[in-house]
This record gives sequence, C-alpha cells and structure tokens, in this order.
Amino acid sequence: MDFIGAYSPDNLMFLVDGFWITLKVAAISIVLSFIIGGILGILRYADIPVVSKIVAGMIEVIRNLPLLLIIFFVYFALPEIGIKFSIEASAIIALTVFESAMLAEIIRSGLNSVPKGQIEAGRSSGLSYIQTLWHIVLPQGIKKMVPPIVSQFISLLKDTSLATVIALPDLMHNAQVLNAQSINYIVPIFILVALMYFVVNYILSIVTRRLELKAS
Amino acid sequence: MFKSKKLFTFMFLLILSVFALAACGGSDEDSGDDASSSEGKSTLETLKANDKIVWGVKNDTKLFGLKNPSNGEIEGFDVDMAKAITEIILGDASKVEFKEVTSKTRIPMLNNGEIDAIIATMTITEERKQEVDFSDVYFEAGQSLLVEKGSDIQSIDDITADTKVIAVKGSTSAINIREKAPDAQVLEFENYAEAFTALKAGQGDTLTTDNAILYGMASEDSNFELVGDIFTDEPYGIAMKKGSDDFVQAVNDALAELKENGKYDEIYSKWLNF
Repeated sequence: MDFIGAYSPDNLMFLVDGFWITLKVAAISIVLSFIIGGILGILRYADIPVVSKIVAGMIEVIRNLPLLLIIFFVYFALPEIGIKFSIEASAIIALTVFESAMLAEIIRSGLNSVPKGQIEAGRSSGLSYIQTLWHIVLPQGIKKMVPPIVSQFISLLKDTSLATVIALPDLMHNAQVLNAQSINYIVPIFILVALMYFVVNYILSIVTRRLELKAS
Repeated sequence: MFKSKKLFTFMFLLILSVFALAACGGSDEDSGDDASSSEGKSTLETLKANDKIVWGVKNDTKLFGLKNPSNGEIEGFDVDMAKAITEIILGDASKVEFKEVTSKTRIPMLNNGEIDAIIATMTITEERKQEVDFSDVYFEAGQSLLVEKGSDIQSIDDITADTKVIAVKGSTSAINIREKAPDAQVLEFENYAEAFTALKAGQGDTLTTDNAILYGMASEDSNFELVGDIFTDEPYGIAMKKGSDDFVQAVNDALAELKENGKYDEIYSKWLNF
C-alpha cells in the first residue's frame, strides 16, 4: 500500500474532477426526476381516466427494470434509431427516467396515506379538486414522503457510479484509472473514494433529519 | 371536476413535450464532432475530408492506454501507434482525436460513428470479425511467464513438478498452464494484485497470465521480468467499421511501413521493453 504516492496532488485533483462530474450528474438528475416524478405521482394518484392508466403502466415498466439496462438502452439502443446523446446526457437521462418512476411511487404512497375523508371534506367545503390536492392532501402527505425521497436521492447519487460502464468520467471511473497506475494504489484510493461518497450522503441524511424535525 | 381533469391532461402533455425537448437538446450536443461517414464516399475519403481520425482507446490499461492524471493525456502503446498511423495516412500526427472506450462500448461506438477505429487491446477473434473489420496484427499478445530476475525458469519448458505457478482464479490462464505444463503446481489467487503480491513474497516461482498484464507488473517492479515466448495466441488488431476496405488497406500499409522504418520497434521498446 502506497498512501503517499496514491494521494499525490495530481491524483487528488483527478479524483475531485471525477467527483464534480458525479455531483453534477446527480444534482441535475435529482432536480429533473423530482419534478417529473412529482407530476407522474400526482397523475397516477388522481385517477384520471386513460392518463392515470398510461402513467401507471409507464411507471411499472421502468420501476421493474434494472438501472444498468436503462443506461445501456439510452446509450446503445437509441442511437440505432438515430437518437444520439453524449455520455453525460445519456447518464442524466437514464437516471432521470429511472428515478422519476421510483419517486412517483413514493409520492403516490405519501398522498395515499392521507385519509380519503380529507378530500371529501375539502371538496364539500367548496374547494376545487386541484385546490384540495394542493392545500389539503399534499401538505399532509409530504411529511410522510420526505424520508423515503431523501433515501432515493442518496441511492441516486450512488447509482451514478453505474454509468462507468459507458465510460462516464465520474468519481468511480477516475478511481479505476488511478488504480491502474499501480496495484499499491488500490486500497488507499478506495478508502478515499468511500469517504467522499459517505460525506456527501451523510450531509444529505442530516439535512433530512432537520427537515423531519421541522415538519413534526 | 371536469375542468381539473382537463388541466391534468394538459400537464401530462407538458411532461411528454419536456421529454421530447430534452431529446432534441441532447442530440444537438453531440452532432458537432461526429465521425460518421457521409453517403457515397468511401471511409478513407471521408476521413481525409474530415482531416482527422477519431480513435477509440482504453483509459485504464497500463502501458497501452492510460490516462495521466497530471496532464489529462492518454498515454501508451496503443496511443502512440494510433498517432504514428495517423501521421502516415493524413500526414500529421496531431490530426488525431482520442475517445475513451471500454470492452463493452467499443463496438457500438464504432458502429454508430462516434469513433473511426478501435485500438484498445482488442484481440482478433472469428466472432468479432462478423461485426468489424480488423487490420493486420499490431501486437502479439498471449500468455507468458513473469519471474524474478535470475530465476532458473527461462521458458515454459523449465516448469517441473517442483515449480509453483501462480495464476488468477477463474481465468483462462490457469486452464492453459495446466494444459501446457501438466506437472506444475498451480496456486490460484483472487486477482492480479494478490497474485503479484504472492509472487513478490516468494509464495510461487512464476506468475502466468497475458503478457500485456505481465508487462504492466514488470514496469512496477524492476526486479521482475518476462521470460520465454508466449504460449497462447491472442493477437491484437485495429478494428474498423465493416466494409471500410480502403481504410483497412491504408492502416495495413501504414503498419507495414512502421515495421520497416523502425518506428514500430521504437514505440514497442518505449512501452514494452523491460
């Protein structure tokens, strides 16, 4: 094991470059999948003829496929029909598609946890359906959604490492390049990489705990 | 109720259009530096028109294609060969572009036009010949032996019943060595790092696997060297899109020229002589 050689300034900068890509891809995917997943979750919950059925079907298909397969599909299969993305865009699209489906289900179950009587009460007090959803159901449901949503964000951040298969230059990929320099680097580099992932995800968990305390 | 449902339908359409827009936006990004061949022209003519060859190389393979974290350059035997071949075909070694490939991505990337050729420790096999065109062999890879300098073992014939051979579990090299030297005691380890550590610790007399990997180990510790000829055959070739006969011909001519004028030996000894 060669800690000094492994942690040379050049190598550390190289890992930081990779970490930046990891964070960038994760952040964009988190924002996009939160918006899309939220809309899909509400659409499925709202029980609108045809639309809810289509949304439910889409969610079920995507949710039951491995993320790795979706990444391969976006990067290798779509170009066959003329739709081509860069590596980074492919990773973001695949993660967004997959995580939107997961988040949609979390949001739907949060909404489902609100008793139906609340909707009836809202409707009979003269609120429209959307007003009822927005002012009555969502605020009550959100408390239940926050912890599983953050868990999902944490796994999204970790799942970015799957995109190394299409050579996304993320933290995991750069760690592998460094490991190829010398077999003595493998353990020190992996220790550092584990630490980097842990710190970011742990910060996310702490923030959630704060949010939970605030909500209750 | 009716009104709000209409609104939902509208939102649904909105999501669909967001997806569609995302699709358009993404594809724009990549179309600029495409290496795709245009209709009617042969591959070589297209390359000359582009005035650039895009090579798919490994970024994580020591001595063949390894990214240098200090300057971001990819360095290795494959990379130097690609530059030398480009110099002959286009007249200038700087008219190259390198894109990272892995064993999984290289053939799809070649076929969808992201790269013009693959030079990435790729063994020529009958199976792969169905999918791509190969150049002549540019590196004779195969299984070889790594020993400590001054060892009695100088080739596979020196392996006796007393010899402990280190190999990696589940690899074809363990099977091959049992076939070629049935007397030997084979010790199998989990991975290359452990196998090399075991050899250094004197737990075995020699380590066997692909010579490309052994060269990498020898470059890390100058007390070790490769001995004997390769005893299995895994020739590396340059892969090009199926049907690009003139490009294959040009690459083969370039390889022949490099071997003749000594440039090949120069690159070879730069990376693979220990």
